[in-house]
Amino acid sequence: MSLWEGSADAVSDILDGLRLAPLWWQVGLEQTITRYRRTILGPFWLASSTLAAALSIAVVFGSIFGSNVHDTLPFIITGMVAWSVTGAMLVDGSNTFFAASGVMQVRKLPLSFHVFLQVNKLYINFAHQLIALWVVLLLLRLLPVPHWEILLGLPLAAATAVMMYFSIGMLSIRYRDINYMVAFIGQALFMLTPVFWRQSQMSPKLQLIVVLNPFAHLLEVVRQPLLGHPALASDWEASLLFLLFCTVAALVSLTFFRRRVVFWL
Amino acid sequence: MSSISLRGVTLDYPVYSVRAKSLRGSLLNVAVGGSLMKNKSDMAVVRAISNLSFDLKEGDRLALLGHNGSGKSSLLKVLAGVYAPTSGVVKIDGRINSMISMSIGLDPEASGLQNIKNLAMMQMVSKKEIARRLPSIIEFSELGTFIDMPFKTYSAGMMARLTFSVATEIPGDIILLDEWLSAGDADFQVKANARMAGFVKDAKIIVLATHNFSMAQTVCNKCLVMEGGRAIFFGSTEEWARQSGAQ
Repeated sequence: MSLWEGSADAVSDILDGLRLAPLWWQVGLEQTITRYRRTILGPFWLASSTLAAALSIAVVFGSIFGSNVHDTLPFIITGMVAWSVTGAMLVDGSNTFFAASGVMQVRKLPLSFHVFLQVNKLYINFAHQLIALWVVLLLLRLLPVPHWEILLGLPLAAATAVMMYFSIGMLSIRYRDINYMVAFIGQALFMLTPVFWRQSQMSPKLQLIVVLNPFAHLLEVVRQPLLGHPALASDWEASLLFLLFCTVAALVSLTFFRRRVVFWL
Repeated sequence: MSSISLRGVTLDYPVYSVRAKSLRGSLLNVAVGGSLMKNKSDMAVVRAISNLSFDLKEGDRLALLGHNGSGKSSLLKVLAGVYAPTSGVVKIDGRINSMISMSIGLDPEASGLQNIKNLAMMQMVSKKEIARRLPSIIEFSELGTFIDMPFKTYSAGMMARLTFSVATEIPGDIILLDEWLSAGDADFQVKANARMAGFVKDAKIIVLATHNFSMAQTVCNKCLVMEGGRAIFFGSTEEWARQSGAQ
């Protein structure tokens, strides 16, 4: 098969997956409901762990940094919730084909179907957290009105997730060590990204950690609009560049390895 | 017009588990027909199907015969589109209904009703179509009020009845079967066999992997006998019955 045919197949794999939207939407909902079937508080549990961590971090670091709680609390909680669809995508994406292995061995579906399904579940989860976040902030009388840029920021983050899941998902199913590695990188990234601290609080020598970290930019593209501000142009540019990078990586992995993934399960 | 055409189809499986490789490799050599080859990198490759060609046209019912590991299931998965062949061409016209594993989409915590919907959904049936067929599925399964109970409370027979009822409700041009489907106790089996026979009759092409040759004789007009990934016979069922009987 020529390279040209291979890459055309890669693109049609993604388009075929898009056409199956009703299926992955429904399956995603069903699998989410399964997670809280028989619980009384149901959807609340999906949001609780992030919010509990966010509140505790907000309290601890708010007092360490000595800044006023009206700024810090929304900044940290919103950051944690935004992290769940930006930085956390690394770990989530590495599980894509593990989660799908049963179906993949018996049903003919485009690879992108499993990616869309995984991203869909991530966003269903995010929707729960967002509602809980707004409820908490409303009760504290700290709820900001979101900036319209959120309507661009979330789709951008979602597109990045879709593209990234192909390569990271394939890598971690092929080399099982990657799966563990990603979990530990994800943990480190969370600390190294300004989720609960601000870039300005970091020593100038270490600023590069933030500047070169694509997740730091993507995080701001989601968080700032949620806090009611537009994101910086530099954050948008870096995020778009990252999306481009992930798209190329996705197309390359699909072109060369699309047909082999099922044997790696 | 439905048809299946295979030309020189070969399927190689890479086996990656490096640590288990030597043990697994030697076991495979003994237990399985597939010939093991050593690749240049540190991984084993199993040739599951080797240079296979045949044609099926509308009305054909093909039985796949052979020992465990002869390549029957691999062939079914190639036909289903799950595995892309390493080389060769697979041409299929018609809507495929793969019944290789019917349990995909089952959720033990959900009700039987929800599970019927899940199963049908994974078979690519639209919501409207599911709603339309739901009453007849429930009626056939004879689950009655149990249909609203969680699936995990079902007995094994009830579970099988539910999956069977869904599987045989949705027609297809080409049906791929890994063993003849049946379910339930003696009474239900009679009913299930009748339904299965009707289901098979409506399809245009059937490919059935089985170990039961006498059953294959009643259902299938053609048979493909496989050994170590190769076809050792392809032709009418009667001819194979004559040949193998003569041996």
